[in-house]
Amino acid sequence: MSAALQVSHVSKSFPGVKALSDVSITFQAGSIHALLGENGAGKSTLIKIVTGIHLQDEGEVMMGGIPVRFANPRKAAAGGLGVVHQERNLVNRLPVGENIMLDRLGAHSLSPVDYRSVHKEAERWLKLLELDVDPRMQVSRLSVAQMQLVEIGKALSLQSRVLLLDEPTASLTPNETKVLFRILRKLRDDGVAIGFVSHKLEEVFEICDKVTVLRDGHNACDSIDLNKLNRADVVQMMIGRAERISKKDARPKRDVPPYIELKSYASADGHRDINLSVRPGEIVGLYGLVGAGRSELAKALLGLSPQTAGQVLVKGRPVAIHSVAEALHSHGMGYVSEDRKQEGLILLHSVLANSGITVWRKLATRLGFLRDATVADHVGPILRKLELKTPSLYQTIGNLSGGNQQKVSVAKWLAAGVKFLIIDEPSVGIDIKTKAYLHDLIHELANEGTAILLITSDMPEMVDVADRILVMDDYQIKGEVENDRNYERVSKQIMGFIHGREAA
Amino acid sequence: MAIGVFTRAFDNDWIGPGIVSLAAVVGISILQPSFLSPFNIFVLLSAISVNVVIALGQLVIIAIGQMNLALGAIGGLVAICFVGIIELYGVPPVPALLIGLAIGILTGMVSGYTIARTGITAFIITLAGLQIFKGINLGITEAQPFYAVPQSVKDFGNLSMIGPVPWLIVPMVLASVGMWYLLNHLRIGRYILAIGNNPHAAELSGINQRATTTWAHAISGLLAAVAGIMLVAKLQIGQPTIGDDWLISSFAAPVIGGAVLSGGHVSVAGTFFGVVIIAIITQALVLFNIDPYIVQVVLGGLILWAVGINRWRELRVARLQEQGR
Amino acid sequence: MNQTVANPSIAADAPQSPQGRASALTRLLLSNEFGLAVLLLLTFLIFANTLQGFSSTFSLFTIGRQIGINTMIGLAMMAVIVTGGLDLSVGAIGACTAMFFGYLAQALGLPLVFAIPLAIVFGAGLGFINGITVVKSGVHSFIITLASMSIFFGLMIFLTKAQSFNQLPAEVPSFGKWKIGGLVSPLLVISMLMCVVLSLFYRFTTLGRSMLAAGANPKAAELSGIRTGHVITACHVLTGGLAALAGLMLTARTGAAIPSMAGQLGQDWLLPAFLAPVLGGTLLAGGRVSVVGTFLGAAFVQTMTSGLLLMRIGEFWILACLGVMLLLAVLTDKARQSLLRSKGMV
Repeated sequence: MSAALQVSHVSKSFPGVKALSDVSITFQAGSIHALLGENGAGKSTLIKIVTGIHLQDEGEVMMGGIPVRFANPRKAAAGGLGVVHQERNLVNRLPVGENIMLDRLGAHSLSPVDYRSVHKEAERWLKLLELDVDPRMQVSRLSVAQMQLVEIGKALSLQSRVLLLDEPTASLTPNETKVLFRILRKLRDDGVAIGFVSHKLEEVFEICDKVTVLRDGHNACDSIDLNKLNRADVVQMMIGRAERISKKDARPKRDVPPYIELKSYASADGHRDINLSVRPGEIVGLYGLVGAGRSELAKALLGLSPQTAGQVLVKGRPVAIHSVAEALHSHGMGYVSEDRKQEGLILLHSVLANSGITVWRKLATRLGFLRDATVADHVGPILRKLELKTPSLYQTIGNLSGGNQQKVSVAKWLAAGVKFLIIDEPSVGIDIKTKAYLHDLIHELANEGTAILLITSDMPEMVDVADRILVMDDYQIKGEVENDRNYERVSKQIMGFIHGREAA
Repeated sequence: MAIGVFTRAFDNDWIGPGIVSLAAVVGISILQPSFLSPFNIFVLLSAISVNVVIALGQLVIIAIGQMNLALGAIGGLVAICFVGIIELYGVPPVPALLIGLAIGILTGMVSGYTIARTGITAFIITLAGLQIFKGINLGITEAQPFYAVPQSVKDFGNLSMIGPVPWLIVPMVLASVGMWYLLNHLRIGRYILAIGNNPHAAELSGINQRATTTWAHAISGLLAAVAGIMLVAKLQIGQPTIGDDWLISSFAAPVIGGAVLSGGHVSVAGTFFGVVIIAIITQALVLFNIDPYIVQVVLGGLILWAVGINRWRELRVARLQEQGR
Repeated sequence: MNQTVANPSIAADAPQSPQGRASALTRLLLSNEFGLAVLLLLTFLIFANTLQGFSSTFSLFTIGRQIGINTMIGLAMMAVIVTGGLDLSVGAIGACTAMFFGYLAQALGLPLVFAIPLAIVFGAGLGFINGITVVKSGVHSFIITLASMSIFFGLMIFLTKAQSFNQLPAEVPSFGKWKIGGLVSPLLVISMLMCVVLSLFYRFTTLGRSMLAAGANPKAAELSGIRTGHVITACHVLTGGLAALAGLMLTARTGAAIPSMAGQLGQDWLLPAFLAPVLGGTLLAGGRVSVVGTFLGAAFVQTMTSGLLLMRIGEFWILACLGVMLLLAVLTDKARQSLLRSKGMV
């Protein structure tokens, strides 16, 4: 029997980066297949290739033994390959039934919508998914979990034989996850091939029967039975070696009063009872899964979300921060965003403007006048120190490589001379060399006395760089792990906190 | 339970404006009994009829998440073309009407297609359209009206059907019911709302954005044409200035009726009551001898007020959903 | 580069962008301003050599004077397009300011040295109302300024009873008629000076740079410590001030403050207000301005208009031509962008 979806020997390069090389994977009907890998391992590129967003350089994608090449995700769905993305893609103000049947509302523009049959058809899928909602109900009234099921229903209603789920449990409660899993098993038993992308290994072991692991764009394993493996095997394949000897030594502890301290801090975003302190020269890691509330905590601290309880102390003095400007100019705080393109940089503007934006106010004369040369004199040495590769300071930053962009988004805070720097997912979308360089840089900064809060969901990075690690889940700090650079022990303990039990 | 019913009723877009309209009618007629005189009702209904059609022309574009600055210019152009071909070429009223409507649809389609094809914002394209259509209008007329409006057309715009109900109400009712049916029961209407609400999801679902946008603007052009010809009938003259003052009120009524300006959510009934509120206020100012210029101020104020209310309701719904989880 | 198809986060990872190789000269030649300047020069030369009376002193004077006024109107809109927003009420602000000025100078008899600055502050104040409402409500500036244009204009007509102020101090009309060196209107000089000031402002001041940053990417600007709300309000204030100045300049030209000088609700200013910056290469999405381009845009539009008028194309048809010109401007810009992108020169 030929596989429901088979990817064989696919390679894909983007300018400067080989995203996938010779990757194969086979999804069988009636199987739930885990697709694992760290951030940047190539999972999303692979999904984009099978759904027709990207075109592979080499290799083939086959469905039921027949080579396919979809023009876009829409064509893929019509061809029986449904993808449910991490972000929701529903028309919120339309009812559930119409969302499921959106592309089948009528033969032509002026066809009246036959609501009876739309609802009847939609109901069939809702029933299959054990979703007890009226198809006439507006999507916006559903919970996130229900919306996700509606999207699955939408994919299934197109007779999908293959269903790819990207981090489907990221925003679900344990109970909702249980329901989802029951349904996935039912679909599996009905002969659907299900691809399951997740960071949560517990879930993978609970529901999947096959696994493919990608690492740095290669197959670490190709479609093998999951029951032949244990957790450690999978982790080993994901990170490359069983025990990872950290490249960096533990740094000496500093016995100085904290630069910033949170006491029973709560925010309007939903953070509760956060206790956290970062000393000058210390690198505190904040680990958590997507949606745990880490970036949100960073932004709340910068004044983007009101504080509702507790205390924030900077250099021992209680402060109230209402805006990023205040955080920067009065308290020396900076934030390197995880989302470089949307929040970190102004892609339309030059390297100089992006790296100097934090110091314009400081460098300007009293009347607010400022010359490029003044800014260049100030940021030039920093950019040179970071070995930024750019034809000129006036180069539009959107044209630089990801690694060089990331350097600029760090450089602007160095230029501002911040004393407390929050670094959020520093190595997303950058090459390995720059990543290592950034890690060195973070250490160097700390050695010079900057207090650093490092947010990352890249476990090896965390173990490599942080001094101690706080674990966040559901907008609360669940525990603290002293980092002795023993990857196995530290990662186990962290996952233990997230899953609500002390690790052995 | 009673509160539940009340808040749910409040979630209906037209309830609020409906209550306000009713209260305004009752209040003003107590203070000024002549307000409910058959003649005044006739005048009021005529004005409402035309303005509802204008507002619906903007409504369909708001639904898809855009705006149409050229609405009035299309209406004006159709108005003078309609009378112009009657006067200059002796075309009988019915073919002239059909030609007029065709011009409206065509101009709308051109705008819509340009927007959909180039991806340039509707604001700029329809601003250019406004200028072009208005320029053609004035170029043809040299700012002089056409007078040869046939008697049948004049009658249509000024006679009553039954009692104080004008004939002009017919196109208004047809347009309202048609728009309601289109948005709620035709594939095209659902697609317009889907694109207005979430263009990305609509695209992923295989909705043809170009065709839908072109359609929406064609419908808008058609309604502008209908309104333009209704005004010709009512004014009994082909004025080149028809359409000049549609911009503000065409946005005010849908917004008062609860339309979300970013698209995807509009209410035909709400828009109707929005027009009614505006008409009553305008009339009241006249009845109470208040400077009519203040109407502009009131209109602007109404828009801000409605935008505020809509925003508050959005936040409230979001909060309720947050609590519901 | 295949940035449009590929995942941009990876596709942008080209080690060295091709732009480094595109010479500065090529970029200048492909720039909007250069193209516009050439176009302007060609149009001017053709008209001057073919049309009787185009290059007469009086004709050049009136063209220049009108360029001055339209540039100011364009700059007013440009100042708010920077934020990715717009201001429909520029015309209303211009007319209101002119009437306020008329009231100060004629009814109260205030000396011009006080009346002019007060009027400009008044216009800036109206802009401030727009700005603060946009920022606080979070509603798009289109609908806010649509409402405020109606309110400002309606109140002005209500208060003035639609009466003009036509007994202004004699300096006002004579300033409008003044020919420096027998040729150049001071209104043109004022606008050119304003262009210089604004160019310096966007380049050399913290506020100007912050405006560009907040317009290009408000989130990133906010997270870099820029008070985006204040900056956007400031943009609207600047728009109000410039619109006020344009209103006063128009008053000087007509010699009286007339309520309808910008048309019903001030709508007549909308086209020149958008045409000049858009022709000049200001990004409608915000974050990039071209002050020189706005001036060249206004100059080109006025040259075309005057030329077409002399060719006896009815003044009404010229309105339609301007609309077509706006359409062509955005379409060429679109084409130019995609050409540059395909050559990797953006």
